[in-house]
Amino acid sequence: MEIVGQLQKQFVDFSTSLNHEGFLDEQYLQLQKLQDESNPDFVCEVVSLFFDDSEKLLNNLATALQQQVVDFKQVDAHVHQFKGSSSSIGAQRVKNMCVAFRNFCEEKNLDGCLRCLQQLKHEYFLVKNKLETLFRLERQIVEAGGTVPVIG
Amino acid sequence: MGLTLCKTNMAAASPDSTRTFQRDVEEDESQFGSTLCLSSSYYSVFVVRLAIMIMLAILVGLLTLLTWHITRVYTTRSLKTLAYGLRHELLQRPLLRMWNILNSTVEVATTQVKLSESVIRRYNKPAASQADQVEQLYQVMKELTWALFASRKALNSITLSYRNGFVQAFHRNHRSNNTYYIYSDLTNYSIATSYSVNLLSSHQGWNDQSIHTNMSAIWYREPLDPTTGDKTAKAAPIPPDELINIAGISQVPDGTASWHIAVSKYTDSPLLSAALPVWDASHKSIVAVVGVTTALYSVGQLMKELVEFHSGHIYLTSQEGWLLATSTNTPLLMNSSSGPKLMMAVDSQESVIRSGAEYLSRAYGNKLPPSQDVHIESARLVNRLYYIDSFFLNLKRLPMVGVIMIPRQYIMGKVDEKAFKTLMILISASVCILLVGWFCIFILTNGVSKEMKLRAALISHLDARRRAEASNNYKSQFLANMSHELRTPMAAVIGLLDILMSDDCLNNEQQAMITQIRKCSNALLRLLNNILDLSKVESGKLILEETEFELGRELEGLTDMFSVQRINHNIETVLDLSDDMPKVVLGDSGRVLQIFANLISNSIKFTTSGYIILRGWCETVETESKKRESYLHPKESWCAQKLKRKREAAQGKICSKKDNKMMLWFEVDDTGCGIDPDKWESVFESFEQADPSTTRLHGGTGLGLCIVRTLVNKMNGEIKVVKKSGPGTLMQLYLLLNTPAETTKQHYQLNFKDHNLTVLLALNGRMTRLIMTKWLREKGVQTHEASEWNELTLNLQDFFTNDNSQMAESETHESNLGSSIFIIIIDVGLLDLSTELWKQQLNFLEEYCADRASFAWILNHDTSKVVKAELRKRGHLLMVNKPLYKAKLVQIIEAVIKRDRNLHLQTPVADHEFHEIDSLQSPSASSDESEKLDNDSCNAIRGSEYFSRGPLSQSTLSSSCADYIHVNLEDDVSILSKERSSTKSYNEDKEGGAASSCKAVNEQKRPLEGLCILLAEDTIVLQRVATIMLEKMGARIVVVGDGIQAVDALKNKSQSNEHSDAKALPYDLILMDCQMPKMDGYEATKEIRRWECGSGWHIPIVALTAHAMSSDEAKCLEVGMDAYLTKPIHCKLMVSTILSLTKGT
Repeated sequence: MEIVGQLQKQFVDFSTSLNHEGFLDEQYLQLQKLQDESNPDFVCEVVSLFFDDSEKLLNNLATALQQQVVDFKQVDAHVHQFKGSSSSIGAQRVKNMCVAFRNFCEEKNLDGCLRCLQQLKHEYFLVKNKLETLFRLERQIVEAGGTVPVIG
Repeated sequence: MGLTLCKTNMAAASPDSTRTFQRDVEEDESQFGSTLCLSSSYYSVFVVRLAIMIMLAILVGLLTLLTWHITRVYTTRSLKTLAYGLRHELLQRPLLRMWNILNSTVEVATTQVKLSESVIRRYNKPAASQADQVEQLYQVMKELTWALFASRKALNSITLSYRNGFVQAFHRNHRSNNTYYIYSDLTNYSIATSYSVNLLSSHQGWNDQSIHTNMSAIWYREPLDPTTGDKTAKAAPIPPDELINIAGISQVPDGTASWHIAVSKYTDSPLLSAALPVWDASHKSIVAVVGVTTALYSVGQLMKELVEFHSGHIYLTSQEGWLLATSTNTPLLMNSSSGPKLMMAVDSQESVIRSGAEYLSRAYGNKLPPSQDVHIESARLVNRLYYIDSFFLNLKRLPMVGVIMIPRQYIMGKVDEKAFKTLMILISASVCILLVGWFCIFILTNGVSKEMKLRAALISHLDARRRAEASNNYKSQFLANMSHELRTPMAAVIGLLDILMSDDCLNNEQQAMITQIRKCSNALLRLLNNILDLSKVESGKLILEETEFELGRELEGLTDMFSVQRINHNIETVLDLSDDMPKVVLGDSGRVLQIFANLISNSIKFTTSGYIILRGWCETVETESKKRESYLHPKESWCAQKLKRKREAAQGKICSKKDNKMMLWFEVDDTGCGIDPDKWESVFESFEQADPSTTRLHGGTGLGLCIVRTLVNKMNGEIKVVKKSGPGTLMQLYLLLNTPAETTKQHYQLNFKDHNLTVLLALNGRMTRLIMTKWLREKGVQTHEASEWNELTLNLQDFFTNDNSQMAESETHESNLGSSIFIIIIDVGLLDLSTELWKQQLNFLEEYCADRASFAWILNHDTSKVVKAELRKRGHLLMVNKPLYKAKLVQIIEAVIKRDRNLHLQTPVADHEFHEIDSLQSPSASSDESEKLDNDSCNAIRGSEYFSRGPLSQSTLSSSCADYIHVNLEDDVSILSKERSSTKSYNEDKEGGAASSCKAVNEQKRPLEGLCILLAEDTIVLQRVATIMLEKMGARIVVVGDGIQAVDALKNKSQSNEHSDAKALPYDLILMDCQMPKMDGYEATKEIRRWECGSGWHIPIVALTAHAMSSDEAKCLEVGMDAYLTKPIHCKLMVSTILSLTKGT
């Protein structure tokens, strides 16, 4: 029981820090609220969807930017999609990066785009790590027989 | 003349141009600070100008040099050839003469020799007596020699020396013009020896000693008549030093002719002497030697004549350098102790000759180049330039050198002078040309450089403009991006407030406060949107929405909102809308409210005490156009009138199409510091404030009024400041707004007359009281006023004593008409809250009229809880917040009337209900009431009450209430939705709906039960999130990935449905992402609307977009979508939107 308490505390701290550091915003909390008995793994499902989608998009972006003639419209569409999905799960920093990225796209600034892509990847992997940590904690809590505390 | 004129013009023009340029530069500096570019171009112009000038200078210089060279070189060359010829000629002649002299000398010598030979042969007969023969021979020889000598005047002497030592000589002294015959003493000679030819032959020549021995002989000189040769005097012996040169045997050692130069003391000039041997008949021995001397004097004479004209000098020298002849009179001989001697040329007394000789010897040393002529063109001798030419005359035994020196001046003087003059003229001409050229270039390039400067300025201007445009673009971009970022925290704030409001454990005060916060948040959000749209306004891209909205209600909300801000000030806010104002108008509510919000906040900023009144009244277009003209025109200029006429013409067209156009007049009247009349126009400019110091005092950017005017003009209205009596500002504006045809006539149909109402207004605010009293009196309500507690008590006492008697009298009367209703509306501020006195005051009031009058309390926002609780405890449940306006008054009165009716029922519910009047649009009302009504059995009654009240108090009925009621009273859905459809607007849904839907969610978890929604979204994550969200609400979701699939899904489903149910659409609603692959949301919507066309269907389509600008919204609505949601999806907002769309159908 003590372990559960500790884990729960850790979980709460971690979630709060994620919130404070701007990795996740209230949209994520909304997602968590949507999770209930009928959809026990909803957040996890959505987030893994997001991971799949993001990796695909990042690959697309990388190949699109490596072309001889870069189709900025195409890149912009990808980034837009990325922005939509990231804002839907509340990955705020990724979303902000996307906003910056789109500006470079509009300027047709290839250097800026490439730089942004790097940062975007970085942010993405950061948030991915954080989320995975979060889920691991969650799983541990459940395994230990506790309930996942509700944040927000 | 022309040049000077031009120059003066130039001088006059140049300061101007420089000044303008400087000004330009200064402007540039001040504007862009990019002088670097300009100055560099200035320097480049300068350099180019300099380069052109230098090139011109070089060109002109070259031309000059070439001209000079050509003119000079050819003349010089031709002259030189001529001069050379001349000099050659000049030298040739003395040489020729010399040659002649030589020739003649040789001739004479040869003749003499021949004659002598023949004579000697004749007389050399051994038979004849020797003495006579010899005497005879000598006589003949003398005569012969004389003949020869006489024939040749130029000869100086002829000598004939015989082998035996006898000498015969004729000598002519040119100086004294004497002629002498010189002979030696014969006695000393032995004839014998003279004939020893053999000896001689054996000796191979004469011995010199014989001569020397001869020297001892006595010489005689016999003067002769120069012409006849006769002896004129007796011969006299002469001393040896008087002797002339006698050619001796030593001079012909080899028996051939010999030459040499000799000197004699009788002549100044050197003599040329030739010696020839006379051979005997057998040609074996020399019998005599003939010598001929010729003075070179004549050569000198000739040379003098020749060069006199040229002022030059000629001299002849022997090869060794001995001077033979000169063209001057200077002596050629040097007197030395041993008689006259030849002198060297370098020793000549004539300076020119001497220096010339020195020059030559310096140049060539002592050895002149053998057989080579020397030509020196410019030798400086005695400070003059000379030509020096020398010719070599190679005579056998007497090589001679002739040197001629002619001053250069003589030949080249004129040419040099001319050349110098030409050079001078050329140089001055070229300098003139150069100056003129430079001047022209300066003028020409001045224009060019000016143009270049202008161009540079233009370029920098363009650059600056491009930069400005770019930055403007960035600004718009920034705003577009920021809108998203700004909305998110605001959404969070609002969302949190919603959560807080849905919390049950709040008491009413907290509720009210949160409601206020919520309102302010909404205002802030609206403000944000407005700021974001400001870029649109500025770029002229503002699109006004055309939606229905309740103007009165919005304005009331606005006043409520401002009353919170104003609470710290001692200001009264009054809303005075006339009853004929249309309740619902078509227009952009946000913009209209923005106008008033700006105006009111502006007024608040500058008003420290007094009041702010927002007046509104209405005129229909047809009736008031004249009035307006008379009202506005006199003050306006002709130009403005013209403009207005144009606009009216335009309006006329609109009016002909839409008859129900209303002209809404508003006034914002405050008692602030006022605006100076000459600033009345300029306050509407951007960044303009009436007084620059206001920024310091009141803050603000000066943009507010500018936005207001832009918006008003956009709504076909006008705004201006109007003269006002008393302090403060009066802003007057009118808007032309459409009104929906069916609601135009729905004015307040109030009639309080039936109820025999009496109202006592005990209010602090003078203006509110005044306006309310006036209005109530118009409506036939008895009104009394009180402005402070004492007045109130006085009034009450008066009133009730009167009333008591009246009531006593008209007891029966009342029962017929229904009891008279007495309402006391008291401002809490009238109570003495600082002390505990207020409770006593309340007691007093209750004592007086608790049973006869209804109390309504006007609360301040900061009225303490204690007071409120006390009031509630005492049963004073009618409480409203400041400010009081008509709608609230109506509410109070109606509530009182209703309570009066229900008095017999004694339902506590009604009491509770009255409290809600306070909240009007506030969602908290619904939460409050719903909370209570949950446990209430009479909700049906209440609901119906609402409906019966509907037409009257529609404005008070928020959509949130409707939502709630709909949920609870499903039986009444049809009625409700009818009402809703009339009041529905997106704005409501957006602003008020979120809270209500939140409520609804709390109340019932599945508000979307039974709905089937088609979700078109390409992002899987979003798909999933939206699906879960909607499913939680109870909706059934069909997901498609793009626009084409969405359209197909709709078509297929409806086809399959056609058999079973022709009427129903397969989906109740479509959520459409705007940006999708293959077919985007806009296209898909267009497609769907095309497909629907004719079928009479209209499936609601809600756009989902990540863009947040209202232009996107406009685009969505344009293609036929019904509503618009921004990502990330806000659950409550989405639900409310969906509900409003689906229930409405």
